[in-house]
Amino acid sequence: MTDKTTPLYVVCSPFRRVGKTLVSRLLTEFYVVNDRPVAAFDLADEGPQLADYLPDITTIADISDTRGQMAFFDWLIADNVGARIIDVDRRVFKNFFTVVQEIGFFEEARHRSIEPLILFIIDPDPKSAKAYTVLRHQLSQVSLLPVRNQIEAAAIPYGDAPSKVNIAPTSLDIPLLGSSLRALMDRQSFSFSRFWRAPPADLPVSLKYELGRWVGRVFFQFRALELLLGCA
Amino acid sequence: MPHFRLGFCATYTLHIVEVYRGLIMTKPAVVLIGGDKGGVGKTTVARTLLDYFARQELRVRAFDTEVPRGTLKRFHPDVTDVVDINHVPDQMRIFDTVNSTDATVSLIDVRAGLLSPTLRALGNIGFIEAAKKGDITFVLFHILGPSIASLDEIVDTAAYLGDARYFMVKNFINNTYFFEWDEATHAAYFKRVPGAVAITIPKLVEMAAEQVDLASVPFATFIANKKQSGAPASYSFVLRGYVRHWLETISAEYDRVGLTDILDAKESPRPPIGRPRPIIKIAES
Repeated sequence: MTDKTTPLYVVCSPFRRVGKTLVSRLLTEFYVVNDRPVAAFDLADEGPQLADYLPDITTIADISDTRGQMAFFDWLIADNVGARIIDVDRRVFKNFFTVVQEIGFFEEARHRSIEPLILFIIDPDPKSAKAYTVLRHQLSQVSLLPVRNQIEAAAIPYGDAPSKVNIAPTSLDIPLLGSSLRALMDRQSFSFSRFWRAPPADLPVSLKYELGRWVGRVFFQFRALELLLGCA
Repeated sequence: MPHFRLGFCATYTLHIVEVYRGLIMTKPAVVLIGGDKGGVGKTTVARTLLDYFARQELRVRAFDTEVPRGTLKRFHPDVTDVVDINHVPDQMRIFDTVNSTDATVSLIDVRAGLLSPTLRALGNIGFIEAAKKGDITFVLFHILGPSIASLDEIVDTAAYLGDARYFMVKNFINNTYFFEWDEATHAAYFKRVPGAVAITIPKLVEMAAEQVDLASVPFATFIANKKQSGAPASYSFVLRGYVRHWLETISAEYDRVGLTDILDAKESPRPPIGRPRPIIKIAES
């Protein structure tokens, strides 16, 4: 067991196309940029998924049976893995949290100096608010943070969302981004860490600046989250 | 002399303590686990009970009637003896010592087919009568199978019960489906035993059950990730989590029926005959 607390991020939503994989990619690459150990886990069964973007550091897991759960959770809780990021697909959302609760995963994680944080991508759909409330009630001992992804839901009146879901005072914000840059980062060959280290020469300066600023804003929030979790 | 005075006081105090202990002593309890059909999970229920008693800090001794193998003994060797319940010396070993043993609870895992004969034998030796008089707490866990025949056992069993606390256990651990039971049928049978309480043992994830079986340790030891020797083990965290959740559910079920209160029942306080007299002679010698 290590003395240093390491973070475990669970990126989730009961809905598709809300930007779970984008948030997981950004989080994973935040650690890659800083040359810190990170392991990403993909619980999706529909593409494009995290493993398509970060094949070298992403493990595809299947928790539909006990054997798969053992392979996934037993490894996840092992020492010296570094930061852990789990991209929970909408189809395994319910099963994931049922298993996690039944086996006491988050309690054991804390016991092993792993601090969990659930990043819940909010959506204006009332079912999303309900799922958030249920999760907050059932996992009251675990940090749960709403994520406002303005990229995937730019047309949705987000002003109403916080009161509907009764969110915590803080949230993670994925800011708006121009359509051309969005198309760029949707390419499976695109890497935020590579961009951060050396922006492509053929990208216009204005776009480089816009994307750099955007990534910087997101990474800054991740840094703040680490401090909040006591993992910095 | 001060020495005699001190001896007198100490002995007098001890005597009062003895009298007081006598008044509040926990009644010995016998817990019988049985069912006339095999493979309904009697030993599994016995194991959950031993874990529950340990958690409640109840002193317990167990008897495994599955001679010569002794499945219960494999999991709980420290507290279990293998006995032949048909064998009179072994019956004496269990029932003649109920009052003298340090254990509050004597648990007997009765092997398949022996429940009715055992109850009959208990009636013959006057044990059921002693339970009726309130000298002994007698608890029966009747593990029911999925067939109608198992419901018939209830009627047979009820004839021997006396004042026993009767728990009818529906055990789902072995993938049992009580398909032959419809609500009206089993209600009709349950009604024949007034005061009977139903207990449900939920299903345990198959792989978890297998691993505990392979490890040959109590469920609580498996959860604590330890071997029988107490040395650290390396059982799967996921499986340990499933076993913990399952055992907690069962403990809640035992709490619901007030099992600890039943077993930890104190003997009725008898009024002391006269004032407790100090044993002066011993103090002076």
